[in-house]
Formats: sequence, structure tokens, C-alpha cells
Amino acid sequence: MEKLLNELSSSGVPSYNVKSDVEIDVQIPRNLKRNSALGLPVAAENDLLRHFTNLSRKNYALSTVFYPLGSCTMKYNPLINERIAKNEAFNFIHPYQPPESIQGILEIMYGLERDLCELSGMDCFSLQQAAGAQGEFAGLLIIAKYFKSIRQTRTKIIVPDSAHGTNPASAAFAGFEIVPLKSESNGSISPEKLKRILTPGVAAIMLTIPNTLGTFEKNIPEISKLAHENGSLLYYDGANLNAVMGIVRPGDMGFDVMHINLHKTFSTPHGGGGPGSGPIGVKAFLEPFLPVPRIEKKKSKFVLNYKKSESIGKLKAFFGNFPVILKAYIYIKALGAKGLKNVSEHAVLNANYMLARFKDKINVPAGGRCMHEFVLSPKSLFKNDVRTLDVAKRLLDYGYYAPTVYFPLIVEEAVMIEPTETESKETLDAFVDILTKIILEETGLEPQKLKEAPVNTSVRRLNEVEAARKPILRWK
Amino acid sequence: MNYTSRNQKDKNNMFRTIGINDINELFDVIPKYLRAKELNIAGGKTEQELISYFSNIASKNRILVSFRGAGIYDHYIPSLVGEIIGRSEFWTAYTPYQAEASQGTLQTIFEYQSLICALTGLDTSNASLYDGATAAAEAALLSLRVSGKSTILISQALHPEYIQTIKTYLENSRAKIVILNVSSNGTIEKSSVDAAVNDDIAAVIIQSPNYFGVVEDMQTLSSAAKRKNSLFVAVINPLSLGAFQAPGEYNADIAVGEGQVLGSAMSFGGATFGFMTVKKALEWKMPGRIVGQTVDKEGKRGFVLTLQSREQHIRREKATSNICTNASLNALAGCVFLSGWGDYGFKNLAEINISKARYTFNKIKSLEGFNAKFKNATFFNEFVIETQKDIKKLNKVLLKNNVLGPLDLSNMNESLKNCLLFCVTEQRTKSEIDSLVEILSKI
Repeated sequence: MEKLLNELSSSGVPSYNVKSDVEIDVQIPRNLKRNSALGLPVAAENDLLRHFTNLSRKNYALSTVFYPLGSCTMKYNPLINERIAKNEAFNFIHPYQPPESIQGILEIMYGLERDLCELSGMDCFSLQQAAGAQGEFAGLLIIAKYFKSIRQTRTKIIVPDSAHGTNPASAAFAGFEIVPLKSESNGSISPEKLKRILTPGVAAIMLTIPNTLGTFEKNIPEISKLAHENGSLLYYDGANLNAVMGIVRPGDMGFDVMHINLHKTFSTPHGGGGPGSGPIGVKAFLEPFLPVPRIEKKKSKFVLNYKKSESIGKLKAFFGNFPVILKAYIYIKALGAKGLKNVSEHAVLNANYMLARFKDKINVPAGGRCMHEFVLSPKSLFKNDVRTLDVAKRLLDYGYYAPTVYFPLIVEEAVMIEPTETESKETLDAFVDILTKIILEETGLEPQKLKEAPVNTSVRRLNEVEAARKPILRWK
Repeated sequence: MNYTSRNQKDKNNMFRTIGINDINELFDVIPKYLRAKELNIAGGKTEQELISYFSNIASKNRILVSFRGAGIYDHYIPSLVGEIIGRSEFWTAYTPYQAEASQGTLQTIFEYQSLICALTGLDTSNASLYDGATAAAEAALLSLRVSGKSTILISQALHPEYIQTIKTYLENSRAKIVILNVSSNGTIEKSSVDAAVNDDIAAVIIQSPNYFGVVEDMQTLSSAAKRKNSLFVAVINPLSLGAFQAPGEYNADIAVGEGQVLGSAMSFGGATFGFMTVKKALEWKMPGRIVGQTVDKEGKRGFVLTLQSREQHIRREKATSNICTNASLNALAGCVFLSGWGDYGFKNLAEINISKARYTFNKIKSLEGFNAKFKNATFFNEFVIETQKDIKKLNKVLLKNNVLGPLDLSNMNESLKNCLLFCVTEQRTKSEIDSLVEILSKI
């Protein structure tokens, strides 16, 4: 067990130290001065290095294991991205430097906006949003503002029950009422069902394509027609864009607003939960509403334009998560149009290959073909009270991170697998063999191994119920 | 480059298993007329080519000696921070949903939460938010949610981009925002809070040190807010807490702020992290992830994501926030940053900021044509100077000398015309300060 920072033995010499070459001159009125102790740990650098290094080794990470986490696109994060992003001329830059001293940064942001437009078929992009959910929020605010500008009262957003939780949460956050839409068993949308809830008060329909069961929404032309005839807009959740780059473009399918997760499709790392970046793209008629500032090119110079009277404003301070933006742009320049299409083709090939190996043995609600990911429902094969959670924990013992489980909510005991394009056939084969063995053999013959799992991790199964019942959220 | 490691033999085998002859068959479900034409996106560069391509672009940015702050600051980042956040076991991991395989990330978040609580003197921290501005907006929403009231009082001396962000976040709610004006001392006066609080005020949001660098009398303002049972939200610079009162000491209910000063590079203003700490009574209403301590089946200590029924992946449209991805790696930098100073070192760091800023302030205000804007203000590492000089020219000359000069506040409002916001951190040497003063004296 790794000690907590406050339990590390104190040598009395802290790791960091700065000196001042001007005289210390501090006069703080009593009522403004800190009286309480800070209670910060005191540990030598050597001990801290070991502490954090040892902790890092308790993580399963993409750099150590296969991470087939559905909906998360855990693809290889190219090292060249990290190397270039360390350049001081990108890092030691203040956001309020005059434009003539940040032309390189603006060139990258402008270039990425253009490339995302081409890739998605949208007309304009904004890179300010810090993550996918913030992209959704911004996109929905734009939709709200648009309807306000044309004096229409539309208060509802249709969200399929297979959608990511952020979709309804973002819509509620933006002040909308959510109208849930029941998906078909393969995750697709029935135009008939849609028609019944497509009232004049519907501002937009949020769709994920491919959907969270990994199938392409083949009714999209009809859905798009229905939505637009009703005066509603279409929102594209770009979480699954890795399946369709160079294949089909959201803009061409009729979407008016979308977001992209640069930390999924464009290879920037997840950082243990962030930072991400959630650029939003819109059709030209929604451009006036994008967040400020806009990056514009005047002659050969890049400038920031804040004068957009209809803009939804600012989503965060400054301009977006620049290192993430930069890494995504490096990735695009490494691959180009051909390489990006190749990415999607191989992401879909890998997923279909795994699916082909699973489908005769384990139930696949969405059928025998998929896009970049697929969902298994092993429920009927479970014996001895084994559940999907146990399967996930058992996979950890075999040295894999677990797939996404219990999502999408419309599939019982769901196991959602997204291999990505950067995994070899050997890796896929080995994983299929192990997961098949766990579900088909171990659940019957050695259920205790699943119930007891994991045993090879730094801790055994953790008590989450107790953690929530009596929360301990900091050291004492 | 090509990051798919696939040879033709493997591919043919995979095709056979799937039952296709060609990769295109996998996309047959997509109507032909919808299929994309060949895209026009330049690329296909090798690593070597990428390095020279991006070095060339980087050379169009200028690294300057910065006397500008206003929300993002040039601070020293110890080597250990880069080493730890550079470990691929941290940066290539996902959100720690599988707790047993994510103890590294989970324990460091727990440590981060503990450190932020220690620093702010409040009870509960979340795992991070996107940045300081969104943390302030989430604090406003949290206050509205718990109080059932509908108005937020905001200091005019809150960072303008934070005010804009809060406005965006509240755009489609029924909540009202009322701005508290700054006095001629550069502070929010108790009398103005007294005049504005009423039973419908969910929260009073005050930044300290405020946008003009001035440290507010938070104790007095907090008491004034409590008179009508409003929540008191402190927007703080965490580095200043080495010297100035902690939110817990003045009975703040929520403290939020920008974590960039704790070990993240300026990087054009992002990625950074926002922090949020609250009193215990508010923890179930908090946005974002929270890590809790528990035990495994053998009684061994371990960490998990907890209080998850607040969050979007469980509660969907009824969640406390839509946030999913946060700023974990920057928060880890914050954790490593805060672990290596000890109380004395951290206080010393704050005092060096105060001292260098004071040294610079005294020198500049003694120059002809430069005056202190707020005469008796207490400040941390930023201060406002009023000048009769041509500000555009002044900053141009500084830029020519590789110096990022003070921020021109002239356009903010009439009373700040001809005003400059300077920032001096521990990074600025005496000789850099002296040469700044020298240049200013010649303008």
C-alpha cells in the first residue's frame, strides 16, 4: 500500500525552494493575513518522486495495456505530439500577448478550424470548449439563441435513450426540456416514432452516429428531412467520429451543429480524465452565434475578432485548451486526408473482426456488422450469479483494462468494446480468446474466480457502497 | 505517418473471418450519395517533417519577459511536476472508472482534494473543473440550486472573462445577475453589499485578490452576505493563500479559482484546471467527480469515484452538472506542485511575489507620469498604475525589448482610462524589473 502524501516521513527539507533577489517586504493588515496553518506536506524530492512514480505504476494505461473502452476511442497517442507540444514557444505564451507575437498559435488554431470544416462538412468551427460536454452545451446555447433571433419559442430537445449521459445533461444545462426517444433494439431511430414526438416546440434532435451500439443510422436522410420540415435543427454528437472520417460527413447528412472530441478521434491523450477539447462546428447560418473571439485572417495576418453582437459569449476564460488543439493538429498533419480515412477504415475493420469472432458465441443486440465499436449482451450465458461487473474485474486479472460496461442503458448487462485502429491483430485475437473463455467457460466452471476478481491489481475489489455511505473525501 | 500496424496478410485473414473481400464492404450500409468525396486536408508528414514544420510555426510566437497577469501567470514550475505528469501511466490513462486498475490516478486525486482543502480551509473538494471561469460559473449554479433563490451578486472586480462565462452559463436560466460596483479604492465596500443583499440573493461572488490585484476584506464582505443568508463564494488565487486569509477563515461557503499557478504552463491560457471546495453541507450538490477513500475486500485502503449519483452518466438530465472530462492531468500537476514546498516554503513563495510586486510598484509610482491608482490598497502580485503616457507606445517599446508590458485597462470603463495592470511574480529578477523601470522612465 502506498502511503498518502501526509504520511510520508518528513525529512524537514522540502523539495522546492525559491529565493528572492529583492528584499522581502511584506506588510499585510491583520484582518487580511492568514492565521491558520496550511498543513502542506514536507517531503524530499527523492521521496516524492518515488511516491508519485509508484502510484503511476498502479494505473493500467494505454501505454501499458489494451484499453478497449467503448465510446472512449482509446487509440495510441503519438509521441511526436507530446514532443512538439513541449516547445517553449507554445508553452511560455501569455494569452493576452499582442497578436503580432502569437501568429504561430493563431495559425495553428485557424488551420485546425479549416481542416475540421473540411472533414465534417460544416462551415465554421470554434475551438474554445474545454471538453465534449462543454461543446454540447455551447452547441445547444447556439440553437437556443438562433430560435430567439427568429422569434420562435422552442423549448424541447429530443434525445434518444441510447445517448451518452452528457446529451440530456447538457440540454438541461442549456435550459431545455428533454424529450426521450426510445431507440430500436439495434440502437437505431424509427422515423415513425420520431414523427410522433416531433412537435412544433422541438428545437433540435441530438444524435450520435454511429450510435452507441456501433451501428450507422441508415434512416438519417429521412430523419434529417423530418426534422427540418418541422423547423427543428439536427445536433451531431461527434464522440464516434472515429468511424467515419473521409467516409461520410455530418454536414452532408444534414446536421446543423456538432461537436468533436479532440481527445478521442484526434489522438490527444485523456490524461486520466482530462484536459480534453470539444470544438463545435456549425453551418453558416449559425456562425454569428459562435463564442468570441473568432480567429480571422486579414491579408496574411491572423487577428482575434471580439465584435460579434449575436455571439453566445464565452464558454471559459481565454481561447481553449491550446496544447490539446496543437496535438490534434499535429496528428492531422501527420496523416492528411488519406491517413485519416485509413484510420476510420481500420477502426471499423478491427471492430468488425472482433465482432465476427464473438457473434456466434455471445449475443450481439445490434446484429453481425458494426462500425468502430459494438456491444455484447452476455446475460443469457451467465451462470452462478455472475454479472458483467465480474467479467470486467476478471479481465483486469488478465492484464486488460475493461470495456465500458452497463452502457448503453438499453442493453442489459452491456459490454461495449471499441478496439480502435491502432491495435494489432494479435492483440485483438488474444483479447477475444480471453473474454470468450471468461464468459463461456469460467462463469460455469470457476465462478469464484470472477466473484473474487481482481486479484492481480494493487487492491482487491473495492467497497463502493461504503465509500458513498460514509464519504471520506480527504485525509484527516 | 501511419499508426495502424496492419500488414496485408493479416488484413486478408481478417476479411475472411468477417466474410468480405474488400474493406469498402464494411461501409455498404451508408447510402452511396452520402459518401464523402476525397477530402482536401494536407498531411502525410513524417516525424522529421513534423518537427521542422511545427518549429517553423512556433518561431512565429515570441517568448517574452512577462509583466502581465490578469488570470494567467508566469510562475516557476519545479522539475518534478514535468516528470510526473510526463509519466505515460498517468497521461495515457482514462477517467478512473475501473477503480482497481486506476489506483494511481485515484489516490493522486484524493491527495489533490486533500491539499486543496488544506489550502482553502474548506471541507470538500472535487477532482477539478475546466478552469477558473467555469468553476466560478458552476459555483453560481450550485448556489442557485441549493438556495432556491434567483439572483447572484457579482463583484465588478471579478475577472471580466469570468463574468462573461457566468453570464453564458446562466443565459437560459431564470437567474438574474447584479453587479457590485468597485469603489475608488479598488475594492468592493461593505456598504455596497449591504445595499444589495436581500432575501432573494443566492450568492455573493467576490474575487480576491481581485482583477485589479487588490486584496478584498473578505471577512467583512462574507459577514455582510450572511446577513441575508446568502452563500459567500470566494474566487481566489491559490498562491496568495500562502500569505492571505483562507476562505475557511472568513466563513466562505464555496471557494473556486484558477489552478494554473499551481504547476501548469501558461500555454496561451489553457489547458489549466479549475478547483472548487465547499462546506460539507454542500458536497452532495457539487458538480464534477469526487474521489473517496474506502477499503477492498481484504480491508486494505483504496480509492474510488464516489457520490456518483450526482453525475451525468447516472442522473442524466437531473445531474448537478453536465461535466464529464475535466482537467485531471493539470490537477495532478497541482497536486505535485503543492506537495513539495511545506508550509514555510509556500508562504515564502507568496511573500516573494508580494515583495517583488511591491518593489516594482514603489519604483514605478515614483517615476514622473506614473501614479498609484488605488492609494492604500493591499496587493499580492498585481497592481494598477495610472499614467499620462501614451500606453500604446509604451507597450510597443517594451515589446521591442522582449517585454510583455502591463495590461491596458483603458477600455474597461471610464474610471480606468489610462490605467495599467502590472504583474510581478517570483520569476522576474531584480535586473528585469530595473530594466522595465528604466524603459518606462524614458517614455
